[in-house]
Amino acid sequence: MPEPEVASESGTVTKERNNHNVTSAVTSAVSSAGNDAAVGAGLDALDTPTAQQRLSWRRFAAGALPPLVALVVALVIWQGLWAAAITTEYKLPSPASVWHEFIKVILTGEIWGILWTSLHRAVLGFAASVVIATPLGLLVAKVRVVRAAIGSLLAGLQSLPSVAWVPAAVLWFGLTDSTIYFVVLMGAIPSIANGLVSGIDQIPPILPRVGHVMGAGRLDSARLILLPAALPGYIAGCKQGWAFSWRSLMAAEIIAISPQLGKGLGAYLKEGSDYNSMPEVIAAIFLILIVGIGIELLAFRPVERSVLRSRGLSTGRDRNDHGSGGITRRAGRLRADSESPIASFLKPKS
Amino acid sequence: MTAVLENLNVEAPTRAAVELSEVGKVFGRGGDAVTALTGVDLRVAPGEFVVLLGASGCGKTTLLNLIAGLDQPSTGRVDVAVNRPAVMFQEPALLPWLSASRNVELPLRLSGMGRGPRRSRAGELLDLVRLSGQAGKRPHELSGGMRQRVALARALAATTNDSGGAGGLLLMDEPFAALDAITRDFLQLELQRIWKATNTAVLFVTHDVREAVRLGQRVVLLSSRPGTVVREWTLDGDTDRATLTDEITDRLRQVISTHARA
Repeated sequence: MPEPEVASESGTVTKERNNHNVTSAVTSAVSSAGNDAAVGAGLDALDTPTAQQRLSWRRFAAGALPPLVALVVALVIWQGLWAAAITTEYKLPSPASVWHEFIKVILTGEIWGILWTSLHRAVLGFAASVVIATPLGLLVAKVRVVRAAIGSLLAGLQSLPSVAWVPAAVLWFGLTDSTIYFVVLMGAIPSIANGLVSGIDQIPPILPRVGHVMGAGRLDSARLILLPAALPGYIAGCKQGWAFSWRSLMAAEIIAISPQLGKGLGAYLKEGSDYNSMPEVIAAIFLILIVGIGIELLAFRPVERSVLRSRGLSTGRDRNDHGSGGITRRAGRLRADSESPIASFLKPKS
Repeated sequence: MTAVLENLNVEAPTRAAVELSEVGKVFGRGGDAVTALTGVDLRVAPGEFVVLLGASGCGKTTLLNLIAGLDQPSTGRVDVAVNRPAVMFQEPALLPWLSASRNVELPLRLSGMGRGPRRSRAGELLDLVRLSGQAGKRPHELSGGMRQRVALARALAATTNDSGGAGGLLLMDEPFAALDAITRDFLQLELQRIWKATNTAVLFVTHDVREAVRLGQRVVLLSSRPGTVVREWTLDGDTDRATLTDEITDRLRQVISTHARA
């Protein structure tokens, strides 16, 4: 019959051995006093998701090599088409002549002025969009009336090409910087606001509930729980907002051309087209592409990665990593299997 | 062996950790109204470990929500001695962007404790749940059982911080139901150890009779739809837990079968 309760923390386990006289060496090892800690440590060691770091040069090779190869292949095809002379030189210039145009703008120093004009507009426009879109997104996400009123409009605006605003903006503001900034804002704000809204919508409801139980007020809850939880969606929205503001800027710069606006990348492209200089047009297109991708890779990608990593979420490329698979693998493990032989080892009966 | 009702071997203190009298809860109104709880009387003494046991629809979660202050009763009175009972859910519900120790610090931060004291308090609590080596890790770097232990440390931080001196109250809503059998088993032992170490009152909800009998000083059986207290058993060191498990299971089966006829 039941033995007096042993005072030690593993008392129940000790009792099991005495009662049932189980002779298994494993069981008695488990049952000996003070071994709960060891069992716990063993479980922790077995269950902890392990992260595996791939060799960095391999990572680099896997990440950077395929696009480089694709680029080389594209250049070879281009050179081949040019050499075959399938069309006139002014429609399809050789890669070399585009390269010369490239070198020319760099050597004359013209490129820095062009890049500065476009980039500072894009950055200022994007910053202003973030400042406007963030409270807007918060309002749409958290205030029901506002969402009902403008939620679908905001989502719809994302599919309106912002170039459609250029004619109206030219009529309203003339050929000024205001026109360009207006178009950039109309392009970027809906993306950023929608990103924040979907980020907030995707917060697991248990998190605000936990905050409420712990006594977080509205402000604390927003600051310490809702905003950090919505961060991944917000960053994705900002990334898309940047792409939209860059696009809108180019559209505006190509259409709204005036000496007092200065010469940005769009104007440079339009100039090439006006002079029938295909090498300049192609060089301009490459520059626009390079800047757009460069900002995303240098500014947004690292931020997004570190945010996702720190939460055990992964970006598309990391999905095969061992560490990030751990969560999904664990979810289906051994659930409700209370009759398993090992479990009954550990389970005290009195 | 088994004492039934009113056999509290805890000294009757001036004030219970939780006292429910004639508590009822109705959701909705008119013809669609659903009675979740009716006439529930329940008293948890400070430092006592009480298990609420019942099948689906017995209003366990509603009851915990009432005690946690997340919801108000339709009738009756809920009297909680601590300002803020801590709640542990089936999911650990840790904030994924904070390290284990920052997660534990969160309730302390919300209650306005300074950085130094709350860091050392979080350290103590992680030590208590045997995770002091993992303080800097993020939830996704921890196993399911470890996450649930961090959640336990966080709950303890929330409730034992209370300056009223009334001792803490831990509400646990099937906290181990989503864990695998081995981990669940280990965490049951750990919970017992930690409960003894902290002297916190625990109200533990489960639908696993063995878990209830293993953990509880008192097991309260609830009926379903509407939930009300059917019977309670007080356990002590002399209780034959295997026999009691069978007895409670039989009673639970009876309660469930009444719904087949209804």
